[in-house]
Parts: sequence; structure tokens; C-alpha cells
Amino acid sequence: MGSISALHYLKPTRTANGTSLFNFSKNRISQLPVAFRSYTVKSSVLETPDVPRLAETARISLNSQEIEEFAPKIRQVIDWFGQLQAVDLQSIEPAIRADTEGDNLRGDVPEKFENREELISAVPSFENPYIKVPKVLNKE
Amino acid sequence: MALTFLRGIQLNPSMLYPSSYFARKHGVLYCCMRNAQTQTATQEKEQTKLKVSTQSQPKAVDKFLKDFEAVIGIETHVQLSTLTKAFCSCPYNYGSPPNTSVCPVCMGLPGALPVLNSKVIECAVRVGLALNCKLSLNSKFDRKQYFYPDLPKGYQISQFDVPIASGGYLDVDLPLEYGGGHRKFGITRVHMEEDAGKLLHTDGGSYSQERAPSHLNIHASHCNVMAIDVDLNRAGVPLLEIVSEPDMRTGIEAAEYAAELQRLVRYLGVGNGNMQEGSLRCDVNISVRPIGQLEFGTKVEIKNLNSFSSMSRAIDYEISRQVELHNQGQIDQIVQETRLWEEGAQKTVTMRKKEGLADYRYFPEPDLPGVTLTEEYVDSIRESLPELPEDKRRRYEKMGLSMQDVLFLANDINIADFFDTTTAGGADIKLAANWIMGDIAAYMKNEKVTINEIKLTPQELGELIASIKDETISGKIGKEILFELIAKGGTVKGLIKEKDLVQIVDTAEIEKMVDKVIADSPKQLEQYRGGKTKLQGYFAGQRLATDEESILTGDNLDITNKWKHLIRAFRSFADHQN
Repeated sequence: MGSISALHYLKPTRTANGTSLFNFSKNRISQLPVAFRSYTVKSSVLETPDVPRLAETARISLNSQEIEEFAPKIRQVIDWFGQLQAVDLQSIEPAIRADTEGDNLRGDVPEKFENREELISAVPSFENPYIKVPKVLNKE
Repeated sequence: MALTFLRGIQLNPSMLYPSSYFARKHGVLYCCMRNAQTQTATQEKEQTKLKVSTQSQPKAVDKFLKDFEAVIGIETHVQLSTLTKAFCSCPYNYGSPPNTSVCPVCMGLPGALPVLNSKVIECAVRVGLALNCKLSLNSKFDRKQYFYPDLPKGYQISQFDVPIASGGYLDVDLPLEYGGGHRKFGITRVHMEEDAGKLLHTDGGSYSQERAPSHLNIHASHCNVMAIDVDLNRAGVPLLEIVSEPDMRTGIEAAEYAAELQRLVRYLGVGNGNMQEGSLRCDVNISVRPIGQLEFGTKVEIKNLNSFSSMSRAIDYEISRQVELHNQGQIDQIVQETRLWEEGAQKTVTMRKKEGLADYRYFPEPDLPGVTLTEEYVDSIRESLPELPEDKRRRYEKMGLSMQDVLFLANDINIADFFDTTTAGGADIKLAANWIMGDIAAYMKNEKVTINEIKLTPQELGELIASIKDETISGKIGKEILFELIAKGGTVKGLIKEKDLVQIVDTAEIEKMVDKVIADSPKQLEQYRGGKTKLQGYFAGQRLATDEESILTGDNLDITNKWKHLIRAFRSFADHQN
């Protein structure tokens, strides 16, 4: 039983060394449904990009110099999108997708991909019949 | 760490009782959950062991359980039995050699674009309608980002804020063994998504703490321990995720909800619902609260439930674990986490603690258009729906069948179809039910075959029932014919003729026989007239003895029956003579 409380003590450490990936997520997820559902809400300010976090979620390692270099560029992109926030949507019915002509569906007809050999040969580590990958912690 | 914790529980004698309280009932569960796998020796041992403690323990925990209420919600993943995957034309067959059914789309190669299988929408609409849901005529797919080698794209195509169906319910009849009763469980939502590949953890070797690089860069040089085998055949196979309201209160209710979902997908023909193959996967969320408290307790998720009975047992174990922690004033020990059901040990153990919700960074899938349903399309599917299990049960009930018959027959769509075809031909309802549930079910169980694999047709069962009813053959002969029909096929009429099994109902012929017997035995006839009625037997025997050849033809003669007829005929003859 003591071991469970011990785990709580461990938490900050794990966060600090970055093993636990998603501690920041609590705020994030609660914002998501709002962002999706309230189409008419005009938010004036967009979040400042947190480049280290972005890098982490994209599984890219950046050094501090790269972070400094990328931050203003990403900021620029976000500001560019930010212009959309100025559009008045008060009287517009929300569209869930911005499309298109038709559903573009296909029938349920099996078709084997012919060039499987090439697909498999492009796998960095393949030991017939399996693709080999490193053991990974933290599924989510 | 989890093991230490549970060892602590085991040593606590009062903890043994709640598990046994539930374990006691599970012998019965196997009867009602007809698809449950066979009981293993381990379980049996476990239960016996626990039973001992049941007797020595006071009723204390019973009382504790009464003060608490469990709140259970279930997330079910139903694999759809489409011929191809959700977003590419790769065929999917369970058990194919690993990584043989793959293409650039399901392997997540750059530039490959998904195209939705129309059958997936059809299945989703069928299930949505069958679950009494409101359908979204406009829905869409979203990307759920997560990084794990079972989905090489780095995200799962799913539905987030606009599921294709929501706000329904499922009607369930609880097994009679648990007191029966009808329940209505709410369905929160049904959405479409893709399955992930299979990971096989091959060795117990050390793992690397190093996080895997982006999927395009997975390479041995990044990580020196290659410990997971990946099979991507299942990646991209269509799933429906069905989320229930937290409406269940017991393991039995939860297991029956899942069994009903399985029945539903089989009736609808959208999936095979096979739990062992993972075509139906249930994750259970469970919390416990003192009765009267409005807010929910901390919920725990249980995974690795691959049969209805393990589901029921896992839930009951988890309820007693959480109630016990309440009673020991250790509510803070109930933490939001995912626990695994261990079949061997019959308990749940910590798999991982949740440290805040995962950040899936959902956004609308840019590679797919929205999903639009027209009213006409929905109506056409509504009209094509088969009779659903609940409707079937209510209909059977109205036909006058007992609840036990109703639950048995409606449990399996194939058996229900067999029964329906038999009775549609005019066969007596109760007799048809009895034959199916009795001798036919016993045969299927012994020979491990399904009703579709036996040679008997519903038409011949109807014929058999009619032949017994009009006394062409006796019930006993009927049974013999039945087994012949089940194993070898053929027709009732053909078998009766071939084996000369017709009961002698031609009285003229019998009288002729009896005449001969009487003429041969004048002495005995005198005695019979004098009151020695036991001589009936003599005459009948005499008849059989003297004229065996001509009557006893065929191997499977129902001698008793002939005796009865002879005696009856003789009595009427003798009385007449008087």
C-alpha cells in the first residue's frame, strides 16, 4: 500500500525528466470540445506556441538553438491563421467540414496490394514475418 | 508495486470474503452465458478454495456491499466483418500470416490517402438504428493523435465531437438464474474508427527508456533493444465504438449488456462478435459510491476481459476491492487507473496510472470528406433491419413460450431462425421448442457443432413433430429418427418407410392377428373370460412368439408400442366377444 503513495512522490520527478509525456494535457483536453463546438465564439488572442511542447508531441528533438529559431516562425504561421478569428460568424450556421463534391466512397471489394515486397523492403527492421520496433513506454 | 499491494489484500482475511461472495455464484454463470468459454481447472480450484472461507466468514461484507452502489459504464469495440479495411481495399481475414494484408494506406506511408469503405457507414447506421440512436446526418472523421507502433500513421482516424449515432438505449433481459428481469441501458454514442495493428511482446528482456523516434524514423540505431513484433494486418480494420451510459450496477448486468450487444451485431450481420478473436472488446469503467451519494466515486478502467464470465467476475472483484477500501477509510487508495483482469489469479491488477487525460489533439481529418447520410438512405436501412433480439424475445413471449425457452431460442440468431422456420411450417410451438432445446441442443453440445452444421432441416423437424402428433410414429421412434436425421439427413417419411416404423393402426389387420392367437389358445381364452385379465400379456406374447417373422421386420422396432396396440386390440376384441 505504501508503494502507491510512493508513486505519488515519484510523479514530479517523472515529469521533470520528461518520461511522462502528457502532464500538460489536462488543460488542453478541456479546451478542445469548446474549441470545436462554439463556432461563433471569437477569441481575440491565440496561445503563444510552446515550441518544446510541440516538438515533444511531434516526437522531434530540438536543441535550444533550434527552439529559438523556430519559435518566431511558428508564431508567424499562427498569427496568419489568427486572421480568421476576426471573421464574424455570429449569423453563420457551423459547417463541420469545408467540402466538396460528394462522399467519395468505395465499395467493399477486396484488392490485394501488388507490390508488397517493396513495402516490406522499405521497413527499417523486418524479421519475417514481423516488423520489429523498439519497446516503447507510455502508450498514450 | 501492484503485486505488493494485492498481497496486502490477500493477507487481510476480511478481503477474502467479498471475492468469495461473488465467486459462489459463478458456477451458474456458465449456464446462462452460453458463449462463455469452458471453465479452467484454475478457476475451479480458486472457487473451491474461496468457498471454504465463505463458510467461516460472518455476513459483514454482505452488509458493506449493501451500503454501496457500483456505477458501471462500458466501452465496446465491435470489429466489422467487412471484406476490406476501413480506408483501403486490403482484404482482412483473421489469422492471415502477419503483414500480408498491407498497403501504403494502412502502413501509413507518406502521400497515401484513405478512401472510406461504404459498408462501414452502412454497418454504423444499422447498429445506430438498432440501438435506438439519433443519427447525425452530417458527421465527420477526426484524427486522434497518439504515438505507438500499432498505428504507423501516428494517429487513428476516429470520430470525436460528432459521432454518427448518439443517445440510444439497449433492452436487456437478465438471465433467470439471477432472478431475471428487464433492464434498459442508455447508449451514449456510436462512432466509426479504425483498428490498430497487433503488437507481440516477444521477450522479457530489458526495455529501452529512450522514446521511439517518429514512425518514419523507427530504426535499430535509435534503440538497441528491439523487443516488439508488429503485425499490421489488423491496422485499418473498421471498428464501431459503442459507449454506454453508466447505467449498470452489477457484474451480471454488465455481462448481459455485453452479451446483448454481441447478439445484436450477430443478428445485424455486421460482425462476428467473437470475444476470443478480439472482434468484440469490452473495457469497463467502474466506480463505487455510498448509496444516496449523488456524485460518482473515482473510476477505474478494467481491460483484458475476453469472455462474459470474466467480465462479470472482474467487476464483482473490483466492486468488493473498492468497497473494502471505502470501509477501511482508504478511499484515497482508489485512484484513476487502468487495471488488468488476470484470469489465472482471478483479480485485477494495476496496469497504468492515469496522470491526467491523454492529449490526443483531435482535429478534423483533412484527408477525408464529411459523412453525409440522406433520410432516404437511413429509411432504406431501417426497412432492411432484421427482427432484433429484443423484438424476437417479446414475440416468443407472446407465443406462449416460457422465459427460459425465450432466452434460449433468441440467444443465437441461427437457432432462432431454425425455430422460426420450423414453426412457420405449422409445427406445434412448444413441441418445436422442446425438441430444439432438448435433443438437438444436446447433440450440438456433444458433437460441438452449430445448428447450421447438423443435417436435420427445420422442415423435417416439423414433419417429425406432425408424425408423432398424428400417431404415425411414437415419441420413442421419433427420437431415434431425429438422431438419424441430425447425423445423416434424409426425410422423416423416407426413414419411416425404409425402416418400416409405422405404428400398426390398421385394426382389421390386428384383429386378424388376434383371431389367430385366440383360435390357437382356446383354454387361455376361457380363463380370460373367467376373470384372469392378466392373460392379456399372454396373448400378446403368444402373438409375438408365433408370428414373429411377419411382424418383427426391421431392426429398430418399437416393440413396446406393438404390445400396447395388441393388448388394446385384444381387450376390445375379447370384451366384444363377451
